[in-house]
Amino acid sequence: MKVLVFAIGSDRYGLPLRAVARVLPVVALKQIPLAPAFVAGLMDLHGVPVPVLDLSRLAGLAAEQLWLDSRIVLVDYRLDDGALRPLGLLLEHVTGIETIAEHTLADPGIEGAPFLGEVSAQLQLVEVNDLLAPDVRALLFARDGAAREGERA
Amino acid sequence: MFKDLSIKSKITLALAAIAALFLLLLVAAYNNFAKLSEANGWDRHTLEVLLETDKITTAVLQVQTATRGFMLTGNESLVEPVSKEEALARVHLDKVRVLTADNSGQQERVRRLEPLLNDWINKVIDPLIAKRRELNKTVGVTQQTASAADVLNGARTVADIRALIDDMAGEESRLLARRSDESAKLQQSMFLLLTGGGALCLLLAGVIGYLLVQALLTPLNRLTDAVGRIAAGEQSARADVLANDELGKVAIEFNRMAQAIQDSQVKELETTNLLRAKVDALLDVVSKAASGDLTGQVTVEGTDAIGRMGHGLKRMFDNLRVLLNNVQKAGIQVTTSATEIAASAKQQEATGIEQAQTSVEILSTTKEISANTTQLLRTMEEATAVADFTTNATAEAQTNLRRMDLTMQHMVAATDSINAKLAALSEKASNINGVLITITKVADQTNILSLNAAIEAEKAGDAGRGFSVVATEIRRLADQTSVSTWDIDQMLKEMQSAVSASVMGMDKFSEEIRRSVGEVRHVTEQLSSVMDQVQKLAPQFDLVLQGMQSQAVGASQISDTMLQLNDATQQTVESLKATSEAVHQLQYAAGDLQSSVATFSVNS
Repeated sequence: MKVLVFAIGSDRYGLPLRAVARVLPVVALKQIPLAPAFVAGLMDLHGVPVPVLDLSRLAGLAAEQLWLDSRIVLVDYRLDDGALRPLGLLLEHVTGIETIAEHTLADPGIEGAPFLGEVSAQLQLVEVNDLLAPDVRALLFARDGAAREGERA
Repeated sequence: MFKDLSIKSKITLALAAIAALFLLLLVAAYNNFAKLSEANGWDRHTLEVLLETDKITTAVLQVQTATRGFMLTGNESLVEPVSKEEALARVHLDKVRVLTADNSGQQERVRRLEPLLNDWINKVIDPLIAKRRELNKTVGVTQQTASAADVLNGARTVADIRALIDDMAGEESRLLARRSDESAKLQQSMFLLLTGGGALCLLLAGVIGYLLVQALLTPLNRLTDAVGRIAAGEQSARADVLANDELGKVAIEFNRMAQAIQDSQVKELETTNLLRAKVDALLDVVSKAASGDLTGQVTVEGTDAIGRMGHGLKRMFDNLRVLLNNVQKAGIQVTTSATEIAASAKQQEATGIEQAQTSVEILSTTKEISANTTQLLRTMEEATAVADFTTNATAEAQTNLRRMDLTMQHMVAATDSINAKLAALSEKASNINGVLITITKVADQTNILSLNAAIEAEKAGDAGRGFSVVATEIRRLADQTSVSTWDIDQMLKEMQSAVSASVMGMDKFSEEIRRSVGEVRHVTEQLSSVMDQVQKLAPQFDLVLQGMQSQAVGASQISDTMLQLNDATQQTVESLKATSEAVHQLQYAAGDLQSSVATFSVNS
């Protein structure tokens, strides 16, 4: 499978390419006051506000570091009710795309952050759907969901 | 009796006794020898007789054999020795007779032998020979013509002759044996005599010798002993007089001599003691005088050397006493007057020294002034020289400084132009920077594009495989571009930092130059002011020089005057010193005299 390779700290992580919608350059984000620290802000994507998470912060590391190869990756986050919402992830050192043989993937056996997945050749997968805790989810997408529902309705 | 004999007699006696003993022995030996030789002579005699008898036998045999031979052969040559042998036999018989003249038995036998022999020769041999001769005349007959009777007769006669001769020989042999026995006995007795007598003689000689030695050595040893004892110090040692001979006389005389020595020594000792007593008395007085006590009295008198010495000493001591008394009185006088003189002389000396010191001080001061003046003069001259030098140097420095000023202005201008150029460079660099930013943005965008393309390709599935390759290529290009722009960016940054560093350096440099220019100007002004001042100095120096010269002249005048004064004062002081010295010496002399006199005491 193909993964988008990025870094958290000095380690390499992989985001499964099928979960990735688009890669965007780092843009100025509107800050959300009283949001958790790992919420980097709000991005305006063609008029649609998209919440952006700083994955390094989510992993517990230092503050927002903007490198030349930092990117905002757009993923589709599946809500409880099955709806897909766009979610932005601020990733450091996005170096490219790699192909990983599936038979090399193995369970790390150690529990850490909830979003960490299998390991292969010094690269750990990140499960998109495990990125947000329920309260955070509620925080980020509650109104949206309501708005959408309101729209639909 | 022996004791009174002289040594010579004793020795002679002893030796004579020994000689006599040996003489006795010799006589006895000689006796025996004579007997032995006599016996020997008799033995020879016997042997001679035996020889003669043997010769007779031989002659008879010869006759017999010759006759037989003639008888057998009839050869005349064989019969020739017969007569010779006959004659020989007779001759030998005569000899025997002569030899045995002392022995009657033998004489008897000889008397018997003679006719036998004659008979045999005449009656047997001669007829046989005659017979044979007759036969010889008849030619061809070789037969033996002797009859048995003739032969028997002849043989009987020969046997008789032989028996007789044997008897004689036997007799002689018996005699010989007997004599041999006797001579053996004699030899033995001789041997015994020699050994026994010899031993006895030796013994006796030894005894005599020992006695003699004793007689000679004992008195000698006693004498030696006495001499030794006297030599060791035992005055009363005397030698024993054992005999009345020479040694005895020596002992007697020695004893007398020892006695005489002893007596004389005793006398000498007495004299010495007397002398010593006198000397001790004198010594006593003299030692008292040596330690200063002249009160001792000389009691020794007499006409001998000691007595005269005593007289002399007595007179000497009396004189000394008088002398010392006088000396003491005089000494006291001298001391008092010397002290007075010394006091006044010291006062004068002190005054003189003060004067001399003061004048010396003044002299030294004027000398110092003089020296200072001279030094000042020299210093002033040096200063003038320095001022001139300074003026010249300053003028030079001013010219140099002006040149430096110009140079600096040039440098400032140059710096400004460099700065302008650097600024232009900097601007260009920032332009490049702007371009680089654009390129970087483009590359970044391209990167994102490539990623998106890859995502779309993935989403497209199989259809998008070609497209994903393209996406990969695009991404690689973008990466390369990023890397290059990053390099260029680094270079630009370096260049910019270098340029800014240069600009800063240049600014600092020009700032410094400006400052230096300002300083140089300031220095130039100062130098010109210095020159003015220095030029003002010169006339003032001259004035100072003049003043100092006049001062030097004045100082030397004072110096001369002071020297004269000093000389005069010195002379006074010296003369006073001399006086003082003389007085001192007088005092010392008086003191010495008094002290030396003080050790004596004259009144007991």
